[in-house]
Amino acid sequence: MIATQETIDATAAIFDDLRCQKNTSLDNLLETPDGRRILSCIQCGTCAGTCPYGEHMDYPPRRIINMLQRGLIDEVFRSDSMLRCVSCYACMAKCPRNIRLSDVLLPLVKEQTLIHLTEMPAELQKSLQNTLRYGNPMGESSRKRAAWTATAGVPVPTIGEKGGVADILWFVECYTSYYARGQDNSRATARLFHALGLDFAILGNEEKCAGDCGQLTWESGLFETLTDYNMVVFGKYKFKRLVTGDPHAFNAFRIRYPLFGFDYPVDHTTPLLHGHLDRLKPMLKKKLDCTVTYHDSCCLGRRAGCYEPPRELLRAIPGVKLVEMTHNRVNAICCGGGGGGMWLDTFFKAKGMERLSERRIREAIRTGADVLAVSCPYEISRFEDALKTVGHDKPIVVRDVVELLADSLGD
Amino acid sequence: MIVPKKKEPIRVGVYVCHCGVNIASMVDVEQVAQYAAKLPGVAVARTYKYMCSDPGQEMIEQDILEHRLNRIVVSACSPLLHEHTFRKAVEKGGLNPFFFQMVNIREHNSWVHTSRAEATQKAMSLVRAAVQRVFHHKPLEVKKVPINPNVLVLGGGIAGIHAALVLANAGKHVYLVEREPTIGGHMAKFDKTFPTLDCAACVLSPKMAAVGNHPNITLWTYSEVTKVDGFVGNFRITVRRKPRYVLEDLCTGCQECIEACVYREPKFKDEFNLGLGKRKPVYLPFPQAVPPIAIIDPETCIELKTGKCKKTCVEACGDRKAIDLKQQEEIREIQVGAVIVATGFRVFDARRAPFFGYGTYPNVYNALEIERLINASGPTGGEIVLPDGRKPKSVAIIHCVGSRDEHTNRWCSRVCCLYSLKLAHLIHERTEAQIHNFYIDVRTPGKSMEEFYNRIAEEGVKLIRGKVADVYPDTSEGANGRLIVQAEDTLMSRILKLPVDMVVLAVGLEPHPDAPNVRRLFNMSCSNEGYFLERHPKLAPVSTFADGIFLAGCCQGPKDIPDSVAQAGAAAAEAFSLIDKGHIELEPNTAFITEAECSGCKSCIPLCPYTAISFLEDKKKAFINEALCKGCGTCVASCPSGSIRQNLFEDDEIFSEIQGLLAEV
Repeated sequence: MIATQETIDATAAIFDDLRCQKNTSLDNLLETPDGRRILSCIQCGTCAGTCPYGEHMDYPPRRIINMLQRGLIDEVFRSDSMLRCVSCYACMAKCPRNIRLSDVLLPLVKEQTLIHLTEMPAELQKSLQNTLRYGNPMGESSRKRAAWTATAGVPVPTIGEKGGVADILWFVECYTSYYARGQDNSRATARLFHALGLDFAILGNEEKCAGDCGQLTWESGLFETLTDYNMVVFGKYKFKRLVTGDPHAFNAFRIRYPLFGFDYPVDHTTPLLHGHLDRLKPMLKKKLDCTVTYHDSCCLGRRAGCYEPPRELLRAIPGVKLVEMTHNRVNAICCGGGGGGMWLDTFFKAKGMERLSERRIREAIRTGADVLAVSCPYEISRFEDALKTVGHDKPIVVRDVVELLADSLGD
Repeated sequence: MIVPKKKEPIRVGVYVCHCGVNIASMVDVEQVAQYAAKLPGVAVARTYKYMCSDPGQEMIEQDILEHRLNRIVVSACSPLLHEHTFRKAVEKGGLNPFFFQMVNIREHNSWVHTSRAEATQKAMSLVRAAVQRVFHHKPLEVKKVPINPNVLVLGGGIAGIHAALVLANAGKHVYLVEREPTIGGHMAKFDKTFPTLDCAACVLSPKMAAVGNHPNITLWTYSEVTKVDGFVGNFRITVRRKPRYVLEDLCTGCQECIEACVYREPKFKDEFNLGLGKRKPVYLPFPQAVPPIAIIDPETCIELKTGKCKKTCVEACGDRKAIDLKQQEEIREIQVGAVIVATGFRVFDARRAPFFGYGTYPNVYNALEIERLINASGPTGGEIVLPDGRKPKSVAIIHCVGSRDEHTNRWCSRVCCLYSLKLAHLIHERTEAQIHNFYIDVRTPGKSMEEFYNRIAEEGVKLIRGKVADVYPDTSEGANGRLIVQAEDTLMSRILKLPVDMVVLAVGLEPHPDAPNVRRLFNMSCSNEGYFLERHPKLAPVSTFADGIFLAGCCQGPKDIPDSVAQAGAAAAEAFSLIDKGHIELEPNTAFITEAECSGCKSCIPLCPYTAISFLEDKKKAFINEALCKGCGTCVASCPSGSIRQNLFEDDEIFSEIQGLLAEV
């Protein structure tokens, strides 16, 4: 599916309004501007129809809205429907009434669902506990957060080491700090930043998870703990903008952190590098000779409208042929990792639900591509796992856009 | 008429209207009248429930006689609504109608304020300003200018055709200007029309032919208006006639040139069939085209592109000598008294809603393309077939594509539900396919429309309440281009993944992308959506804010054929009533030059938006043509020597008004 510029503008229009209200609850929601949009719902079912798990929900978004309008929302909490929401923004991006489902309504319902659950899925509970205790969902030691920098091949200074001042504060995030394949992303990003001569620094061991997934599963207490912590750390240093390679953190800094006083410009690595494409392109000397298909991450694609920059970066790599999957851009299928889905695979399986990463990888395989390119650290592990269970005749690997760019830098 | 003597004292009558509760509920009208009664020069101050009613007007007339009033102030609604009414009443009472000032305490006051005390204070200030101003009013005279009896109809769709015929039949000369090579518009592309399922061509072709043959209609197709000068009653319109390389007065419509073209087979995308069929570089858009004259496309004609063709078309035309490959565009100027704008709409480009797969999957069509496939004169001769030639066994029709959607167009396009039901019937009739209509709400207002809905439902169309969220290829074995349509059946709360052979998108209607240019040309306004704005949504639905410019058809908003035709008739009647009077009255609020003070600097001349100012070479003074002046005041404000003044907006009138407005109550 080829999106025209007009399409992109149209789908990006929804992203203009980032305002959320901190004290919004299900009780006062309908009195807020976002709530009045909910009242304009025409019950068309686009949300349920596009939801990747819509057929597994007793209460897909359309019915939730109806129950809310009828004053019967409490009945929704008796179902575990909302646990199946992977916060992929598909319903919100296509809603003809521009109702902020994934931003506002669904997280509120999700929080109540969690509160009413008799038994919390163990995997999810563990991750949330780890995030609270260690600042990362894997439960790794916070003192080892910056350990990966030793293997970066280029200096990766902490902002403390730079006298507390840097142009770019690079917020590395959890998977990219601890998980081996995530570190590949970080090492590639460091090399690219160096090649471009950017003035950057990381927080090092001071950094804790930005908390987006905590927020989206609406552990609001956990989210606020992390926000409070990170805001204090930011306050210690001087930097002009914050950059992160994790679209979920990017999302949190754009949409949630401003409620807590955060007002730095925020960028994701992919659009940031795209902004330097003129200088980067001559450095991309090594031919990669492969067919690549790009998977739009939900937070960077549908939520931020960033569809073309990653594709243009890929096209800039010599020898890369870009092909599209059936579902792309606004219509992309989620990897299933958002909204806590990362830690609900066991729960989904127990409910007889197909893993979305498998649904997605099948589309990637059908393109005949050699590489599935991604721009979100969750996706590397999710799609690599999916490749283990979904049969394919031709080899296909999962690489982040930054990894491919760094490969092409040569030595 | 009472002509006030110079020394006669000013005696003002002030009338404060309740407008039912519209004003009285927010403004204490009694208090305003009591206040006005005490103002210097005010002889009478009254309130009345409806000043615009006959008794209200009579009260003014009687008071003028009884109380020897010589100035009148009415404090009521917007002057747009009733200034004319009260001027007439003042005139009937024996005064010059311009010894009158209207105060708007409704739209500018009671409707927009929430504090009664403050609204009342504001009303008092406004009334005081008017009383002080009206002291300085002078008697003015309404002038008449003759009106040109010709009418321009812009756009040759069904609305333009109908309006042109109505006026031409009434004996007025009509210039019908159409951008495309033929008239007929969208209706000419349709197969059958709802709710009667009568053939579109059967009802339209006779009207098209009547336009072509009418002695009172000058038909210019393949032409565009490029410039509009003048004013109501006397417009000068510049029309660009694009070269069709076939001379209209010599071509007999025999089509031998098309036969003889060096391209044996049609090779190029046929615009009339939306690219589903092919044509030659020389072609007739469709068999019933009016005028029935061939046209040569300079983009594909070898001779026009390279100058190296055998020109078999010229040979075939022979002695008729109708083909002129050197034809140039022509610029023509016409004079008309009124204009009917009927420029129509375009259908929504479904690529803007990418998840329906239009432009990606060949089996996804928009509704207009299906009309051409169903039409016997269409590219498949009326067969509904997939690109591979098979007949579809199951079809999904998706309603509201590009309508009722904040991402694309917010409005309901009004015709799609009914045409979708019609297409469901026609596709089933031709293919026996199972049809599924995916809808949000089925909207079938209008005469015989609900009955039509019933009839189609009884035919067994599957009506599914849910908007389609995704269309993607079926990847199972032997799917052969089959698509999966994914939607929630909202009445069952179940997600459907329906395999179909063909998807039809009920695309909505939207304004032409160049509508803003037409708006500027004719000095009209547009609504938020980009449709041309009528002067009043209920009481002046075919007039615009530009005098003498009327609207018909979908350029004003989506509507079906019956409504377009009704509106075209109304626009024709409005234009007729304007031009048939023979003259128009000019508002006397025009600017004039005090010659003694004019320095002849000419700075006002280029500023005038109506080209009403010229320079008198003999006197070295500027001159304002009253008939062209619209009273905008630009020249008055710009004149460095202060030599330009404007009736009803003289300095003493404006300054007294301001002083009255700003004084303490």
